[in-house]
Amino acid sequence: MTADSAGLHSLPPSQMTASDFIAQTKAAIATITDSALENADLTNCDREPIHIPNAIQPHGVLLALSQPDWLITQVSQNTEIYLGRTPDTLLGQPLSTLLTDAQIRQLHSTLQEDFESVNPLRLELTVEGHQQLFSAIVHKTNQTIILELETEETSAAVSFFDFYSLVKRPVSRLQRTQTLAELCQIAVEEVKHITNFDRVMVYRFDNDGAGSVIAETHEAGMTPFLGLYYPATDIPEQAKYLYLLNPLRLIPDARYTPVPLVSEGETSKDRALDMSLATLRSVSPLHTEYLNNMGVQASASISLICEHKLWGMIVCHHNSPRKLSYEVRTICEFLGQVVSLELASRQDSEDADYQIRLKTLQTDFVTALTTSDSLLQGLTNHAQSLIELTGATGVAYCEQSNITLLGQTPTQTEVSELVEWLSKQFDQSVIYQTATLSQTYPPAADFESGIKGLLALAISKTQKIYILWFRPEVVQTISWAGNPNKPFEADENGQQRISPRQSFELWKETVRQHSLPWKPCETEAAIELRSAIIGLVLKKADELAQVNSELERSNVELDAFAYVASHDLKEPLRGIHNYSSFLIEDYGEILGEDGSSKLQTLMRLTQRMEDLINSLLHYSRLGRAELLLEPVDLNDLIKGVIDVLKISKAEPVSFEVPQSLPATMGDRTQIIELFTNLLSNAIKYNNKDEKRVEIGFVDPGDTTIPIPKGITQTVFYVKDNGIGIRAKHLDSVFRIFKRLHAPGRYGGGTGAGLTIVKKIIERHGGHIWVDSAYGKGSTFYFTLEN
Amino acid sequence: MSDTPYPTLLVVEDSDEDFEALNRIMRRTCQFEVPTVRCIDGDDALDFLYQAGPYADSPLAELPGIILLDLNLPGTDGREVLNQIKQDKKLKTIPIVVMTTSSNPRDIEECYRCGVNSYMLKPTNIEHLKSSIRLFIDYWYQVAVLPGSV
Repeated sequence: MTADSAGLHSLPPSQMTASDFIAQTKAAIATITDSALENADLTNCDREPIHIPNAIQPHGVLLALSQPDWLITQVSQNTEIYLGRTPDTLLGQPLSTLLTDAQIRQLHSTLQEDFESVNPLRLELTVEGHQQLFSAIVHKTNQTIILELETEETSAAVSFFDFYSLVKRPVSRLQRTQTLAELCQIAVEEVKHITNFDRVMVYRFDNDGAGSVIAETHEAGMTPFLGLYYPATDIPEQAKYLYLLNPLRLIPDARYTPVPLVSEGETSKDRALDMSLATLRSVSPLHTEYLNNMGVQASASISLICEHKLWGMIVCHHNSPRKLSYEVRTICEFLGQVVSLELASRQDSEDADYQIRLKTLQTDFVTALTTSDSLLQGLTNHAQSLIELTGATGVAYCEQSNITLLGQTPTQTEVSELVEWLSKQFDQSVIYQTATLSQTYPPAADFESGIKGLLALAISKTQKIYILWFRPEVVQTISWAGNPNKPFEADENGQQRISPRQSFELWKETVRQHSLPWKPCETEAAIELRSAIIGLVLKKADELAQVNSELERSNVELDAFAYVASHDLKEPLRGIHNYSSFLIEDYGEILGEDGSSKLQTLMRLTQRMEDLINSLLHYSRLGRAELLLEPVDLNDLIKGVIDVLKISKAEPVSFEVPQSLPATMGDRTQIIELFTNLLSNAIKYNNKDEKRVEIGFVDPGDTTIPIPKGITQTVFYVKDNGIGIRAKHLDSVFRIFKRLHAPGRYGGGTGAGLTIVKKIIERHGGHIWVDSAYGKGSTFYFTLEN
Repeated sequence: MSDTPYPTLLVVEDSDEDFEALNRIMRRTCQFEVPTVRCIDGDDALDFLYQAGPYADSPLAELPGIILLDLNLPGTDGREVLNQIKQDKKLKTIPIVVMTTSSNPRDIEECYRCGVNSYMLKPTNIEHLKSSIRLFIDYWYQVAVLPGSV
């Protein structure tokens, strides 16, 4: 049970209306309680349907009215005591049997308003011949109207001015406080002053739902409860929900006998009246037993609610029965609200010095990060700051499967398994925190490092970047108000029965498997670090974009250069060529055969140089040409390429496409060039009598072929039974103008074909690699779509 | 009607070697002599056509019948010359044939967009060059009818 579960999560608090809040809280109660449960004890009290007790406390009467006719459908059995009428004279009667039309109209208008603001009403009723003053509270639940009446001793109503003078002092004292401790201390003093209870305490729930007394004032001679812990089971979850609905709960006499509800004809049990909002609601017998065991006869509790969660309570105890007037109740409720409002700001100022230190640390750290080349480097260069940022003792930085450990942490393997589990724990949040890791993640119990506290920050769930802060076990001693472990006792029949504990003697417990809890300012520091890191990443991305655009520009310039240079190179080349030709024509006889032949060579070389320049030009143009992506049917396209190759190359080659190739997106012209180059290479560099070329594709998950890391697309391949490539040349086959053979062999060529293939593939966002067995053949693998 | 049977060919070419090669091939392969005027760059060509600059004092007897234009020229380059001529009411009827090293698709498209009448590449291979020039002369002087020639 955690304090969290007593909050409401389905709607952001800012969008929640009062009626949403009530409806959702009631729904939460319904889901955790069992309305059929009869004999509640401590094993099942967490499911006891305490909102439908079918009974009230005896200090008032309750009437349930039907809508819209306002007939009395249910009453508490004690009507005769307060109203002088037995239940059977009331059931089935209209309300006008008790109240005047004017009073009923008053109730009507009260119901139209938010009941909190207008209740209670003062009603004067004629009881057995004389006038009796009552305080009335009316509210609606489902289709039923509930009217609760309590007798008022005095007719002197507290006026607004009285109310103001009563609350003025406490409110101004509360507001002047600086710290949470002061605020709570003033609260208990003021509440005691107003209510005159023997003991007033502020009870605060921790993350696990256990409560501790953090402020107290009491009559002389009483044993102080200050500093004591109460186990979470002392207040079951559904009771916490009811405290959210009813900020003020009263038990004027804990030894009361519950007054059952009765209804016409049938037993009240079948009609289970929802009394969540009823002030007279009878409390769980376990609770009164608990109070009796503690020696408390009257109690009042005022809920302290912070951000729609039950933060704690102001609890009042009295050693004898004690009733509070409506005015005093209203003041108490008002003070409860004032304290609730002040809580958030006082809580923020807790650990102010520590928070300032964390902030400074964070600022320095982020400044240091900005000058780092990589996140990892930035984080690890300032390891100590990173660890101290959340008051941890060790930290792990995880990026994909790479884990960097700093300070006191579990082992590499332990962290790697932990991250695997952790990645499923975040839900919508970016933070996961626990002080008892081994409870949610049992393997942590065996961590030799003794790590029990984890604060994990998801920087990017998709990139699997996490920062994990660790804290070791801290053996703590907690002073419980009595043994918190549920005691067994034998009842009069010798049956084992679990009941609330009887002893509230100090009971010290040693707590293991816990680290110190993560403070809100520490988790906040982690979240702020995330924002800072994301800010940095965005800034880096900006810089990258800048660099990219500069690169793009210099690429364009390079292309322009290649173009102009090749043009300018071609001109003198053509001159050399032409003039050599003219020499042969004009002076061939003088030069003789040898001279002419040398000039022929000169001409052939200029021709070759032109080919190289043309390849370079083509290559540079490939980089600039706009990519026209369209769906391409590779089967058709390859068939066309093969047809053209067969026409231009006379030698017999068998082309095989074992499986129909999947459709892909690409620039048709470039893909044709890609396959033309690969297929003609497969034929060209082939000395076998039966030349074979196979074109196919495999799954990226295929393990029979060498697929580089990170490839997730379909892998196409072109496989030949050609001459193969020596392993040492595998890397250089894609280099421009790199030829592995003498110019005259294997049909010559400029050595730009594979470079062009690579460029086309890269422009399509793909990769190309080659696998080859020298002398047996090569396979070119590539992907196209990114 | 002109005094000579063949219209003048205006060659706009900065490279002496290319011009020499052109001349030589025309001399050797053509059955007739092509009257040729050479301008060494774009500005020179425009001065010649507009009777400006150094040509101001020697009025042209007639406009060239056809222009053979290189694209990459110092100063005003061939693209500008082409553009200017094709926008000139009087000059635009003169057929212009671009003969250039540039195989850049952008150049080819741009020239045709401006109204070039033909676009030829200068091959490095001498045999190809010879054949290109022969075809050029044969076509424009034997097959095609030029404006003002009849």
